[in-house]
Amino acid sequence: MPVCALNNMINVGLFTTGKLEQIEEIAAEFEYINIKTALNFGFLTRKEYVAFLERAGFPLIDVRNQEIDEAFVSQCDLLHLNSFLYLPLKEDNKGVLIVAAADPLDEKLLGFLEIKFDKKVSLVAASDLDITWMINKLRGEYYVKEAVFSLMRKDPMSSGIITFTDAQLIAIFGFIGVFFLFLTLYFVNAFIFFNLFFSSFFLFAIVFKLYIALKGSRYELHQAVTKEEVRAVANSTLPVYTILLPVYKEDKLIRKLIWNLRSLDYPRGKLDVKLLIEEDDDKTLNAVRNLDFPANFETIVVPYHLPKTKPKACNYGLFFCKGKYLTIYDAEDVPDSDQLKKVVCLFRKLPKDYIVLQGALNYFNKNENLLTRMFTLEYSYWFDYMLPGLQSLDVPIPLGGTSNHFKLDKLLELGGWDPFNVTEDADLGVRVFEKRYKVGVVNSTTFEEANNEPFNWIRQRSRWIKGYMQTTLVHMRNPARLVQKIGWKGFFGFNFFVGLTPITFLIYPVLLSFFIIYLIFDLKVARVLFPDWVLYISIFNFVAGNTLMIYVNMLAVFKRRYYELILFALFNPLYWLMHSISAYKGLWQLVYNPFYWEKTNHGLTKMSHSAAAASAVNANGA
Amino acid sequence: MIKDSNRIQLLTLLLVFYYVVLSWILHRNGFEHTESLFYSEKLKILFEFKENTLLTIGTTFPSSVFIASIILSPFGYVFAPIAASIIFVAILFYFVVFDISESKLAFKPVLLSIILLFVLHPQFVYAAISGRNIAAIMLFLYMLFRSLFLYYRTQTTYYLSLASIFLTILVFTEINFIWMILSFFPFIALVSVDGIKVSKDEPPIFQYYQALNIRSLRRKLANRTVSLYLILFLLPLAAYYLFRLLNEAHAGNATYFLSSQYANWRVTGTAPLNTILELTKGKNVAKQTQLIFQVFTIVLAPTFILSLVLFKGKLYELFTLLVPIFFFSIILINAKYYFTSEYFMVMQIIGIAGLLFFGYNKYGQKITSGLIVGVSCISILGGIYYFSESNDYEEHDLYMMFNSDKKWFGPKQETELQQMADYVASVASPETPLLIDDAAAYGIMAHLPSLQGLILPLQKSFVTVIENPALVASYMCIAKRNNRLHNTTVLNAYNILEMKERIGLKPIRVFETENWIVYSIR
Repeated sequence: MPVCALNNMINVGLFTTGKLEQIEEIAAEFEYINIKTALNFGFLTRKEYVAFLERAGFPLIDVRNQEIDEAFVSQCDLLHLNSFLYLPLKEDNKGVLIVAAADPLDEKLLGFLEIKFDKKVSLVAASDLDITWMINKLRGEYYVKEAVFSLMRKDPMSSGIITFTDAQLIAIFGFIGVFFLFLTLYFVNAFIFFNLFFSSFFLFAIVFKLYIALKGSRYELHQAVTKEEVRAVANSTLPVYTILLPVYKEDKLIRKLIWNLRSLDYPRGKLDVKLLIEEDDDKTLNAVRNLDFPANFETIVVPYHLPKTKPKACNYGLFFCKGKYLTIYDAEDVPDSDQLKKVVCLFRKLPKDYIVLQGALNYFNKNENLLTRMFTLEYSYWFDYMLPGLQSLDVPIPLGGTSNHFKLDKLLELGGWDPFNVTEDADLGVRVFEKRYKVGVVNSTTFEEANNEPFNWIRQRSRWIKGYMQTTLVHMRNPARLVQKIGWKGFFGFNFFVGLTPITFLIYPVLLSFFIIYLIFDLKVARVLFPDWVLYISIFNFVAGNTLMIYVNMLAVFKRRYYELILFALFNPLYWLMHSISAYKGLWQLVYNPFYWEKTNHGLTKMSHSAAAASAVNANGA
Repeated sequence: MIKDSNRIQLLTLLLVFYYVVLSWILHRNGFEHTESLFYSEKLKILFEFKENTLLTIGTTFPSSVFIASIILSPFGYVFAPIAASIIFVAILFYFVVFDISESKLAFKPVLLSIILLFVLHPQFVYAAISGRNIAAIMLFLYMLFRSLFLYYRTQTTYYLSLASIFLTILVFTEINFIWMILSFFPFIALVSVDGIKVSKDEPPIFQYYQALNIRSLRRKLANRTVSLYLILFLLPLAAYYLFRLLNEAHAGNATYFLSSQYANWRVTGTAPLNTILELTKGKNVAKQTQLIFQVFTIVLAPTFILSLVLFKGKLYELFTLLVPIFFFSIILINAKYYFTSEYFMVMQIIGIAGLLFFGYNKYGQKITSGLIVGVSCISILGGIYYFSESNDYEEHDLYMMFNSDKKWFGPKQETELQQMADYVASVASPETPLLIDDAAAYGIMAHLPSLQGLILPLQKSFVTVIENPALVASYMCIAKRNNRLHNTTVLNAYNILEMKERIGLKPIRVFETENWIVYSIR
């Protein structure tokens, strides 16, 4: 057995042979060094390990503040450095190459390095996290550039690096020009026409949503994968599953994250969990470093590169993935424990052209305040009814932010996520459809933390709406090409659910203002602009639209038995006003700062983790 | 076997053909229902008149029937409402036959019974060929209960939402059905308790007791009950109040669609109970009182009785079947009008739905099948009895038509309204306008080839013209004193006398029928 730190720990009674055997088995599958496996698969805490090294005469050096001769580092590939956790520093006076390593006792690594550099090597101990940070910073440039520009190079038509094409600008300004020209020349008639047009459009959009929700509600009890099927899966047949966890300054959530990951019913050695941390995010890195219990994820540090977006981080993470399937969770997510097994079962059952499965999202802190209740209603109808409805219609499904499960090879074939798109998931859903692949819906839920703070909510929602605008602009650059790729049904489905959603939110306050102006102020000019027949149609569209939207929200409570939320659906018009504020903010940003990623603060909920888990369990049990 | 959908469609097409032929025969023998003519006249105004189009389309009630007539208007304004009712009954037939194949009962005898009912039962036939709203009521009532029963079976929100949508359409087919909401209350309370975790083996009353005495269950029960009510009733109630709002905004009266004779046929078409008592023997009016009415409707619909006899299901499912009894109790509290065929069909339709969803071969397949066929035959006799006893003028007229020695394939018979329309068409022109009030004369207008040369209440000038008609109009169409609609129109015999005295109008009688007169006034 080759000598390494873990053998030494066994010798002094700090580790067990059984664990080492398990580690070696996993390490062989992942092609990792043992110590990396031990630290990232929940066998050993970093604190224990550092204490052992110090006692063994290997104090840690701070590689982030060391002088480094990049000539040696440049000879190494990032993926190898990452798998074996070492970093060549410099030659000492005697010509010995000093290499920082997570396991300074690893003789196998030492031998390999001496052959590679053809000189004597001396291993010094360093924190695996610091090594990871440094190697990604020094050798990650190629990979991060690939993460940013790969899609743009391979499929420029699908990249959001250009927000508005010339043709789109001409069309938009042409429309605005015509709009104002008519308002100038024929103010009253033009006003009446646009008022009726937009209010009818508003109603139509909502009626269509109701239709899809009703279609989806037919599949309410459909179990794509049953519990019996999940129970029948043998662990030995399960493939390696990658979980990407892109985080930014989420130091408070790291403990939660570990508990959530531990509750997943999937063999530990087959979970390839990547925590993607930005280079400037020392807070999260230190939170990982200071954990009192073993971490069950691998940390990847994403080098600094604009745009600083989640899809860029995920694309970067793709280079390190080992799984057959891949999913993304947010740090605060609480997925159903059997979610991964269900996905594996469903992928096995479905035809091969299904390459993505979307899990339902919902909230564990639904009863925290009005906003979380509204958010829960919205997510419930969206994921429980709308997505199955869209799936049944065979139109593009805008994927949710997390809990979308991919076949990794197909994801790579698609070019990963668009780093310039702030709703990269919705965009990817359309690209999947464009390539004639399919998105399915799996009957499993991930409970997230609902945004409970209005300004934070508006930040998050403005990003989503901006992303929908971006996605529409990207895919509508050439409408004829889009029709050719996804057919008329897909084209209309896409435009209704992605393209027109922001427009609905943008026109909502305008229609509401017209309505209020007419009702409150008995102005002569208002009477001219609202002749009886216009008023009739406007009132009908506006009131019917709002009522139906309230109704669609009410439907949402049934599947999950959130009956106590039903009356809150009446607040939907107010909630829509918040959407409108976000939509205008998103529109502003689309013009002035299209790639800016509005960070959503997590961890604001006052609900404890156990309460959240209990809530999740109750909801599942119901 | 007719279990697959293609064969059901074929059978439905045959039924449509049968109804079309029957309606043609009756039409050429002079049968026209005034409700159907009312829709025809509104269609004519909608498509041929430029003023107040939105008022016509937005306030004509019942909206569902009128909209269906608009869609079918290419078949002709007079035939469109009849075509709509034929299609409504045909769709109902399709769904009923479709549901037979899902039922626990023997397919063939039930199919035979259903065919017997749809082809021979006078009320089914009348619903299809009269152009009234009865067909729409039957269809949406069946769809409402079907959706509820499917909800009980599948527990998916989809069917609950469908039920809500059908209830909304039903309310917009006949406003009285809004009271059905109240009659839903008891069974929804029972449905609620079924959805929460209590001892399912216990009787419902104990389940309720248990649910009410455990705090968490009590909360859940209350929330679930409220949720069910909201999902089921929000749409019909919101739609009703929105419609009131629109009427208020556009016509200046929230209940315009219910109270205006220009918007709703019921205002002039149905006879108040006291009028019936005054004008007829009123032998049937006594049956339109609490309890007696319920019993009478049940007796005339033995299918309903059989559905209760063969019932196998939960208590709330039984309560759902009993909804019409509660419903009738509610609407009879303030009944002012004579209830016609549509209310009798409620029992018939719910009886069929109950039989198909909860009936089982209680007495063995042969006896049960025999019972079903037998009951259908008795139902048909009940239908004939209903028409023979009806105090509704037009139902009675139809019965008398069948009872007379009519030669069905003789020369086409022109009705009084058609005769009057022919004359009006011959004299009215833009140069010699004719003043007519469609509040009562909608039947005449429905038969006119064109509305040119008419001065109607829809026009803004009408109010001015009526002050001194001779200044603008050349002719006036007047309802005679014996006309049943005399009091519903401003252009009646009384007002002609009043105009003679007030403004010295000198009307000359130029054409007259039993109920109408055209005067030359210039």
